[in-house]
Amino acid sequence: MTAALSVIIVGGGASGVTLAAQLLEDVTRPIRVTLVERRDRVGEGVAYSARQREHVLNVPAQGMSAFPDRPEHFFDWLVERGLIGPSERFTFVPRRLYGQYLWSLVAPALAANDGRLTLAKASAVDLVTSGRGVEVALDNGTSLVGQVAVICVGHEEKPPRANGVAVRVGSDADTDLDPEAEVVILGSGLSMVDAWLRLDHSGHRGPVTVLSRRGLLPQAHRQVTPIPLEAADVPFGTDTGYFTRWFRALCIEVEQRGGDWRSVVDALRPFNQRIWQGWTVEARRRFLRHVRPFWNIHRHRIPPDIHARLGAAVETGRIRLLAAEFIGVEAVGTRARMQYRPKGETRTLSRDIDRIYDCGGVSVDVTQSSNPLVTALIARGSARPDALRIGMDVTPDLAVVDRDGVASARVFALGPLTRGTFFEIEAMPDIRVQASLLAERLKCRSDAP
Amino acid sequence: MLTAKGKYGLKAMVHLAGLPPGELAMSADIAAANTISKKFLDAILGELRNAGLVLTRKGKAGGYRLARPAEQIMVGSIVRVLDGPLAPIPCASHTRFEPCEDCNLETCQVRRIMLEVRNSVAQVLDNTSLASMRANDLGLLRDLRRPA
Repeated sequence: MTAALSVIIVGGGASGVTLAAQLLEDVTRPIRVTLVERRDRVGEGVAYSARQREHVLNVPAQGMSAFPDRPEHFFDWLVERGLIGPSERFTFVPRRLYGQYLWSLVAPALAANDGRLTLAKASAVDLVTSGRGVEVALDNGTSLVGQVAVICVGHEEKPPRANGVAVRVGSDADTDLDPEAEVVILGSGLSMVDAWLRLDHSGHRGPVTVLSRRGLLPQAHRQVTPIPLEAADVPFGTDTGYFTRWFRALCIEVEQRGGDWRSVVDALRPFNQRIWQGWTVEARRRFLRHVRPFWNIHRHRIPPDIHARLGAAVETGRIRLLAAEFIGVEAVGTRARMQYRPKGETRTLSRDIDRIYDCGGVSVDVTQSSNPLVTALIARGSARPDALRIGMDVTPDLAVVDRDGVASARVFALGPLTRGTFFEIEAMPDIRVQASLLAERLKCRSDAP
Repeated sequence: MLTAKGKYGLKAMVHLAGLPPGELAMSADIAAANTISKKFLDAILGELRNAGLVLTRKGKAGGYRLARPAEQIMVGSIVRVLDGPLAPIPCASHTRFEPCEDCNLETCQVRRIMLEVRNSVAQVLDNTSLASMRANDLGLLRDLRRPA
């Protein structure tokens, strides 16, 4: 029998827990996994700790399994516990249930206390490699030694824009608000929807302005089957403009035949990473700038009932959509003065409001990351930003690439941090596939001591 | 099946892949070197330009060149742009699907095998770059073909 491979997973959110669960699945395989997470409960991450009843998953229960070879795993877990009925496949369950599901994947291995899974309740602040292994330094002054480290710090918890005048929903700065207060939400994606639901739930009656570059809103889910689509159909390697025209034409054609555009968006999903990788850096940049707002609202959809409520709020004027560029905000007494430039105009306008929420996108300059491990690795040159600086540069095999372009044999990254290489790696159906590729590769390593 | 358009387009792209770096080729020269009618070739190069695979420069010193290094352009991209989805017969395409009048779609064994053929075709064409297609003459194909 070979000695156990030891893997240090930095980050106990959805990506880290999924990888741990997949690595530990075969109980006969000798492996030692250490999960580094500063929160009390692993599995919750940024995404799944929402306590509010209405903060539901934006993907139906049938799509959220942590194992790509068993897509029903989460659905069955819910049914077994009587949380949903066996016919409720197209159900959007509360996010905290998903946090509990992820916890349930690793809880038995933790409880067994046999060394296969250990939890290190701390934050990783640095990581160094040697010929024999990796050493992860923790903020409590200790360090962990293993053969392989996987960085799974998912979404960036960047500070809100504009010197603390704008606040994050639910943060300490998000103090009680007058129900009649004038509110602006920056961003029109899924985080905005969460913010608005929270306001609505707390009985907010004042005007809410949603400011985004295009003034769009996420579209609703609908239960449709993806159209049949294979690699032979997809024009890989063409420019973003050409590709977008092809895609729009296909959507229109499907709609004309009585179909639904969602079935085209969903059919493209297995190919999205390959499409992204077939583009030049320039093409990727153009996509992010010009196409992404439209892609996002069609790709990252919301449950139909929430979409209907949002639509009604827009109709009755409770939500006002403002297509504009956000310039800045300053505190004026207890209120805030926001500067913005309406879409297609050159003049800058200002407006006084009571509260401004930052629900801007998750992609930021990775060199400005709030995660100490990421900034330490980049500062030392053990890692580098990808060409677009939206994540850390990794090979298609997830190995972290250093300043000189050399791929590490011991340090890997998983999940949203790899978005420069994969683009669509934010949602569970993509993360579980990526995790399983890495898990298989790690299991085949032959460098156990 | 590969049309004449697809065939000539591939020949023109191989021609462009053989240019010294920074140099452009006139469509008349490409047409003459590959015995293609210039009018047909201009239409083909126009489509390749729309897809972002070739760049053009107008004027006296103008002409065509590849938009990216030949190692980064896959043969499959060129064929799809010129001939549409890879499909040996029309009923074996999902996006440009045309049913045969005389077949039952569900039970047609010919269609089933042709769907497999198209996947294999895509495999080969999407893993062969323009550079390795050109190097084929020189016996370098095995070295340059990307691992599947």
